[in-house]
Amino acid sequence: MSNELLVVKDLHTTFATAGGELPAVDGISFTLGQNETLGIVGESGSGKTVLARTIMGLQAIKNATVTGSVKINGSEVVGTSEEDKRKIWGTEVSMIFQDPMTSLNPVMRIGKQVDETLRILLGMSKEDAKKRAIELLELVGIPSPEERYEAFPSELSGGMRQRVVIATALACSPKLVLADEPTTGLDVTIQAQILNLLDELKEKMQMSVILITHDLGVVATRTSRIIVMYAGRIVEMGSTQDVFKDHRMPYTRALLESAPKVSNPSHTRLVTIAGRPPNLLALEKGCAFAPRCKFATDKCHNERPELQATGTEGHMFACWNPLTSSRGDA
Amino acid sequence: MTKQPRFNKILLKLGRDASNNAMMKPEKKKPLGILFWVCVGWIILNVLLAVFASFLPLIDPLYQNYDAVNSGPGLHHLLGTDDLGRDILSRIIFGSRVSIFVSFGAMSIAFLVGVPTSMLASLRRGRFDKILTTVMYSFLAFPAIIATISVLSFWVPRNLAKVIIVVGIFSIPLVYRVIRTASLAVAGREYVTAAKVQGATDRRILIREILPNITPILVSFLLIGIAQVVALEGALAFLGLSINPPTPSWGNMINEARTVLDVNPWLVIFPSIALVLFILSLNFIGDRLRNHFDVAEVKI
Amino acid sequence: MGRYLLQRLVTLIAILFVVSIGSFYLIHLLPGDPAFLILGFNYNPVTKAVLDAQLGLNQPIYLQYFTWIGHVFHGNLGTSFISHQPVLKTILRAIPIDLEMIVISQIIAFGAAIPLAMRSARRPDSTLDRLLSAGSFILLSVPGFIVIVLLVLIVSVKLGVPNTGPSTYVPFMENPFQNLSSLLLPSITLAVGSFVLYFRVLRSDLTGVLQEEFITMARSKGISQRRIMWRHAFRPASVSLLGSAGVNIGGLLASGFIVQFLLAIPGIGFILVGAINTSDYLLVQGVVLFVSGSVVLVNFLFDFIIFFVDPRISRD
Repeated sequence: MSNELLVVKDLHTTFATAGGELPAVDGISFTLGQNETLGIVGESGSGKTVLARTIMGLQAIKNATVTGSVKINGSEVVGTSEEDKRKIWGTEVSMIFQDPMTSLNPVMRIGKQVDETLRILLGMSKEDAKKRAIELLELVGIPSPEERYEAFPSELSGGMRQRVVIATALACSPKLVLADEPTTGLDVTIQAQILNLLDELKEKMQMSVILITHDLGVVATRTSRIIVMYAGRIVEMGSTQDVFKDHRMPYTRALLESAPKVSNPSHTRLVTIAGRPPNLLALEKGCAFAPRCKFATDKCHNERPELQATGTEGHMFACWNPLTSSRGDA
Repeated sequence: MTKQPRFNKILLKLGRDASNNAMMKPEKKKPLGILFWVCVGWIILNVLLAVFASFLPLIDPLYQNYDAVNSGPGLHHLLGTDDLGRDILSRIIFGSRVSIFVSFGAMSIAFLVGVPTSMLASLRRGRFDKILTTVMYSFLAFPAIIATISVLSFWVPRNLAKVIIVVGIFSIPLVYRVIRTASLAVAGREYVTAAKVQGATDRRILIREILPNITPILVSFLLIGIAQVVALEGALAFLGLSINPPTPSWGNMINEARTVLDVNPWLVIFPSIALVLFILSLNFIGDRLRNHFDVAEVKI
Repeated sequence: MGRYLLQRLVTLIAILFVVSIGSFYLIHLLPGDPAFLILGFNYNPVTKAVLDAQLGLNQPIYLQYFTWIGHVFHGNLGTSFISHQPVLKTILRAIPIDLEMIVISQIIAFGAAIPLAMRSARRPDSTLDRLLSAGSFILLSVPGFIVIVLLVLIVSVKLGVPNTGPSTYVPFMENPFQNLSSLLLPSITLAVGSFVLYFRVLRSDLTGVLQEEFITMARSKGISQRRIMWRHAFRPASVSLLGSAGVNIGGLLASGFIVQFLLAIPGIGFILVGAINTSDYLLVQGVVLFVSGSVVLVNFLFDFIIFFVDPRISRD
């Protein structure tokens, strides 16, 4: 276990809302090694973002209750004060936020936002920090970084801003980076650029990355392992290879089928997943996906399936009626 | 500048997903609460007392009882007497007439002019709106108090009607700004466009579509406006620019009291309490109504 | 960038023009022959001729305006026929007192409002926040003239603190200590109104800003809460604060008169009230023009500051 960078054990995040308890993260356990890239996929509302913030220990909402354990490089995150968490934020773990339009301070110069942590957390002098910040801006591919150092966010395009967000997150060379839908708000061509950049930086800086996305295409070539989430729970996880080629959970298949493929002839109708994401305030006793699943039986509606191993190492799924072998299907 | 919507993204996202299934109950309107009704009662009581003051068994507010000068609160004079032996309770009740009369009168003028013009401006837009709004906003650039003082000091001889007219006219821009902002939001909605397309006249749109939708803000701003005029009239009276003594008003009572602060502090305390409670009640009612109808806070 | 400021400048000039017309026209609100009322006891053919020349009263009204505004541009606001003093000189003698009061009051108001708003906004709906919100709401309903009277009643009369009551003002150069203590109550009065305004505006904006994504991101960077509040949240939340401060500070010149009137502090407001009571119309007109002009200029100054605080303004 000692070489595991991140250990998440039975993590629950529950929001107290007007309509009752809302289990946004519902009993999640997994581990992540050094220099590993893990993908977490699921539809919007499946709890991915809440999971990422809970791992960071960023209580987004006051009335959230977190139980379980998250250990980042040995330090516990759950239940500790913000002051304690501040010791690992920035240097051990950092986060790349989803929307570059809202996650940069509109009235602060770009450079100040990047070099702030260098000066405060690493104690660099003003000049050194500035030099390093300009290097970082260059590293993330921002042209003429000296000029951009003085710019305000509103003077940059969305793609450039997301690069600034990345530079800020990586400034203190954290060991773990949580990238929460880092490309959702961007054009397709820029999406690829940003993702390739992340890949490249990950190699250069020896980091572990958790890549959170609703787009399986994004994780296919960039991750070693994948977790599929549904209604706040893990429904399938395993190596990228296994999840793509040998998935057992009908939901995983549905996700894969709904992703557009380059190999499809043009004008192929996209497959959608029937029904809507579940209401977390009124979940069924059984499998949360059952109402939308064409294989669902009475058992699926009444008993909740737990994660079980397939036999292949690290590959697990939670389903009463698993697909037998889908190898070769996709 | 445009304000970004501020809310907690995550909760919103979860809420949206949940409400897709129509399971999430909409948030209940904030109840008005008992304090609200206490305030409403207080205002009604004040107005009734002011209207029927002459019929009440009150001591004549001008009668000078030289046997009881500067007496504190007691049986004969519930709130005591002033330095001329006049009954404070009676003077406060009669004094409220001035505040209520001036504030209702001035706000009537301000609303009668401000509401139709601002609604029309928000519906018509274009040059009409642009010119009118620029003019109104220029008047907002300097405080109403300096404007009213300057006009009142030149427009002699002074009387209450002039005070009402001047305060009323200088309140028009305030009303204009608030109501224009509110009705702009309504005028942009689809049902107004629909009514336009069907050939409804401006008059009909203003009365049938826009007016009902801005009524909550109209009422709450009317109350807050009245409260502001009460304070303004108090200040004018304090300076001797409102009604002339010996007719009592809350403002001139406080002004007269300041010379005998050391002898008779009640003289300043009671009218102050009356004035503050009146303003506070109006502000509170206005604020609650605005929250209740979920009207975004408009800067006043 | 220049466009926004240019636009504001044009508006400024337009408003100043309106203000000058308004102040000019005041004289003509006087019933009958204005010269008769302006001169009062000093009315005689000689003084009337002087006044007619000064105001151009024989000319058509638009020419009168140009005569008058021409004098204004040369710093000539006329000479009072009551005190025989140039109006501008009287005003300039009084204005430092107002400035002193405003500066003290603003130090108190900002000094209290900013930290308290930050504490409130950090934990909305906490006991402290509820207390402060309710307290500020109540204070909002207490007019300044009541605040000053009650302060004088408690501090000068009941507690007997020396040099705080009426007619205790001395110039700063004469006795700095007594000067400050005599301005204490009026400054607090002005500060109360400003504090309520600043606290409410800043609290509401800060609460909003603290929920923004960029604040969450700043937290995730591992910097202290204090730094997040001051460096990340305060600046974007201070735009409305500066806007209302601009309007408010200008307004203090106008509303300072009540406290000055009560305590016989010879600032601009005291002069105004005195001029009204002695029917010194030229002095009233001069004060009105001066104060209104200052209000507009202060407003513009704050627009200017806001422009540098928030780079988003230039893009809208």
